[in-house]
Amino acid sequence: MRILIVEDEPKTADYLRQGLSEQGYGVSVAADGIDGQHLALHHDFDVVILDVMLPGLDGFALLKALRAVKSTPVLMLTARDSMEDRVRGLQDGADDYLVKPFSFMELLARVQALNRRGRIQEASLLRVGDLQVDLIARRVLRQGQRIDLTAKEFSLLMVLARRQGDILSKTAIAELVWDMNFDSNTNVVEVAIKRLRAKIDAPFERNLLHTIRGMGYVLEDRGPQA
Amino acid sequence: MARKPESATRSISARLALLFGLVAFVSLSVVGISLQWVLRHEMARHQAEQIQGRTEDLRYMLNHGRPDGLAARAMAKIEALSPADERNRYWMWSPDPAYLYGQDLQQALDATRGKTGVVDLYVRGRHMKLQAVDLPAQGGRPELRLIVGVDVAPFAQTLRSFRWALMVVTLLGALVLAALGYWVARMGLMPVRRMSEEAHRIEPGNRAQRLDVSALPHELSDLGGSLNAALERLDSAYHQLAAFNDNVAHELRTPLANLIGQTQVALSRERDGVHLREVLQSNLEELERLRSIVADMLFLARAEQGARAQDLVQVSLAAEVAKTLEFMDLLLEEGGMQVQVQGDAQALVQTALFRRALINLLHNAIQHSAAGSQIMVQIETGAQHASVAILNPGPVIPAEHLPRLFDRFYRIEKSRANSGESHGLGLAIVKAVALMHEGQVFASSSQGQTRVGFQVRLAMAALPKG
Repeated sequence: MRILIVEDEPKTADYLRQGLSEQGYGVSVAADGIDGQHLALHHDFDVVILDVMLPGLDGFALLKALRAVKSTPVLMLTARDSMEDRVRGLQDGADDYLVKPFSFMELLARVQALNRRGRIQEASLLRVGDLQVDLIARRVLRQGQRIDLTAKEFSLLMVLARRQGDILSKTAIAELVWDMNFDSNTNVVEVAIKRLRAKIDAPFERNLLHTIRGMGYVLEDRGPQA
Repeated sequence: MARKPESATRSISARLALLFGLVAFVSLSVVGISLQWVLRHEMARHQAEQIQGRTEDLRYMLNHGRPDGLAARAMAKIEALSPADERNRYWMWSPDPAYLYGQDLQQALDATRGKTGVVDLYVRGRHMKLQAVDLPAQGGRPELRLIVGVDVAPFAQTLRSFRWALMVVTLLGALVLAALGYWVARMGLMPVRRMSEEAHRIEPGNRAQRLDVSALPHELSDLGGSLNAALERLDSAYHQLAAFNDNVAHELRTPLANLIGQTQVALSRERDGVHLREVLQSNLEELERLRSIVADMLFLARAEQGARAQDLVQVSLAAEVAKTLEFMDLLLEEGGMQVQVQGDAQALVQTALFRRALINLLHNAIQHSAAGSQIMVQIETGAQHASVAILNPGPVIPAEHLPRLFDRFYRIEKSRANSGESHGLGLAIVKAVALMHEGQVFASSSQGQTRVGFQVRLAMAALPKG
């Protein structure tokens, strides 16, 4: 997947480039609106990350020029809340937006969502290591053993299993499982993870549900643990 | 103190003076014009009487005198009656030439021919009023036409003088009244000037100072009271802002100090990757905390600047409460708490905001209730608003704290600053959400029950009419 970052703040551009490259994306960076427009129009990107305040040509103008030609998904970054309304109000506008300061996990989740848009291939049986999640029968097996989960625990596991290997922030989990799309400042997600872990990991040798401190949680098979 | 030059239309005194002058001018003019009209009328009557009087004697003589030498006697009489300055003149005409009298007789005859009333005649540079009397032949006297003329110049002169006097009096009167009006207005406005001088003395340095309302006349005491109330509100907002800045600085200072300190310690020695990772993770937690404070602050600022909830949908509040409880279920379970929901209402809300407020309230209730408590959610319908209240058992909150619970960073116990994950903005966000839905917040505490909640507009009230 190829991503274009149009951002004039060098630190922001640098960490975004590094972070996204390490996720396996091909990343190009433009430091002003004019370069950004040139790249966006003449190359094919899967997602454009576009800062609103840019030298040369601002994000709105670039977006307009891009939309006249292409429908590349665009994620807008705004530094000021007052811009939020304008971004929201854009008719032929951005596909999504984030207000600074945002977390990288949040950005990653949005980029993945934009890229996933329109091509969801749903397997009915998800496997993470020796864990099997049957989405149709709503059944969970580990090492052939049946694990009983509550409805919410199942939703949580399903969300994690569908994005196995991706780090999911607490906010993202709250949104995907409970439809709470805001920072709730509660420890509901921690508690839910703790309970799920007690059922799917505790009785077994190898842990699949990992905490990435300060970022979120990831479900993946990391092989035999030392 | 330097004052801006006052243009006449912007000074109340000048405007009142101008109006006084104008009113005086108009009313004096009306009086003058009426007086002049009356005078003119009276003078005309007077002239007619004068003419009448002048002819009376002559008529008597001509009607009753002996015929012989009557013409000569009449003429002698006329001569005696005529003043030297010719202000009164007489003419006599008869087919008998003996009776013809007066210069310019032909003109006088022409002017009065066929007319019975008073007529005008301009002769020898004079303007005269003429009246003719016809005397039929009688006792040997031939028929006669007797014409009397009165010079109008003295009357015209009187009228002219009178007119001038009126004009002068009118103008002078208007000027004097304007001047008096100016003075009266200035006297009347004195309290306003005093108030303005007092207001001038109120500055950021002495914000506590207020206008002295007791010294104001009662027409102004209302205004003074309103101004004082406005000052009061500004002052309290100023206070809040100052306190708020303190609080923000304080809230940000702790995580910042941690970040700087930990990073410096980590960098002061060679560290292995595991250690550095731990520092970064710890830093990330502090940074997340900072981010969340900033995001909440921006949210609150937007609400305070009058942002309204968008993407409103009509929902059953009980259903929204149920969804939120589902989210909070684990926390309630951990605390062994039960939640009971009463009532329902249909309202237009932005669901994310509504749930956020509800979560903050529930979280607040969970934190302040003992394990195993019973929490109640009451949904009530008012005239225009639906209210959602959370009741939880807890120690009585002193009344002075209740209205301030929704202030940013407000904590009843000062020592509990920086506790855990809540950063003191939860209830402020509830208030912001209420504001964004045109509602209010409320809090009460009695008999071991704390009741805190907020309002949103009802669906019916929020829909456009018609």
